[in-house]
Amino acid sequence: MDRAALTARERMHDELHALAEITKHFAVLSLVAIGGINAILPEIHRVVVDVEGWMTSAEFVDLFAVAQLAPGPNAMIVALIGWKVAGVAGAVVATIATCGPSSVACYIAWHWVDRLQHSPWRAIVQRALAPLAIGLILATGYTLARGADRSPGAFALTLIATALLAWTRVNPVWVLLGAGAIGVAGFA
Amino acid sequence: MPRSDSTAATALPPITRRTLFASFLKMGLLGFGGVLPLARQVLVVERRWFDDRAFAELIGMCQVLPGPNVVNLSVVIGSRTHGPLGALIALTGLLFVPVGLMLAIAYFYASVAQDPLTRNAIAGASAAAAGLILGTGVRLLLQTRPPLRGLFTGAAAFVAVGVLHWPLFFVIVALIVVAIGAEWIAQR
Repeated sequence: MDRAALTARERMHDELHALAEITKHFAVLSLVAIGGINAILPEIHRVVVDVEGWMTSAEFVDLFAVAQLAPGPNAMIVALIGWKVAGVAGAVVATIATCGPSSVACYIAWHWVDRLQHSPWRAIVQRALAPLAIGLILATGYTLARGADRSPGAFALTLIATALLAWTRVNPVWVLLGAGAIGVAGFA
Repeated sequence: MPRSDSTAATALPPITRRTLFASFLKMGLLGFGGVLPLARQVLVVERRWFDDRAFAELIGMCQVLPGPNVVNLSVVIGSRTHGPLGALIALTGLLFVPVGLMLAIAYFYASVAQDPLTRNAIAGASAAAAGLILGTGVRLLLQTRPPLRGLFTGAAAFVAVGVLHWPLFFVIVALIVVAIGAEWIAQR
């Protein structure tokens, strides 16, 4: 066997190994991600940077910035990590590994919830969890605001966006576009 | 506001697969800086599949289940309308189409990231994105008007996660117990 063929085979082996590692790590994280993907970001950072050495901490922060820049769920950061490690196949595998197990668990959980339709427990749980959800949403917004509001202009934009969403029926997309334009004009 | 007990789970109108896909695709493609504000815009304001109270209860359930919250939301709504296939349809719209877009952005990120105009636009948009999430939380709070026990668990979640940065997993597990216990006592 000539040298080129050997390295090609080795490379393929490495890629498959990387895909298997991605699947293993993210499938486990998927099932402990109570509260969503932001809850396990520090753990993802630990695995990706410290345990596997797939990238530096600075590269991780860059990927996070791209994920914020792109529309869609925050969970898509894992697709970028997979892409960085093993190309497009890595992106697909990481996405499926992160969302698959939790989605199946969610599907099963809701079947169970449906069977409790006439149980008083279901109403109790739903009523109990709604305010908890609102508290967590506000915590997410507050955390993001602390990161984003580095100037009085940015702080004002956050306040205005908060008020518009809370008390008017304006479409959030227009608020974002407007804020982007104000940013370009140099006020953020 | 009238109280309906057949909230999130059963009150869905008939939804075609095309509408299901289009709705979640819209959230995925327009949800910059977090999908939640867009999810409320599409599900509550535009499609009227839920009112704010049902939406808050649904998000509450999706938050305490493992996995990305809006991904869980797509699984619940998708499977409720078209079974496992519906879950897959909603997931695809929400996740896989935006992932493709994000990989395209990642290819160009290095050149885009240095551009000062882009940086300014992102600074403005991310300040507003934080406000959109805060505003969504405030709106849900005003619309659902939780009782005192709910305000307590919501405030505890906000302070523990947003201000004190305690690990989300443990905060949620602890507060679920407190919230459900308080609700159960109140119902007796």
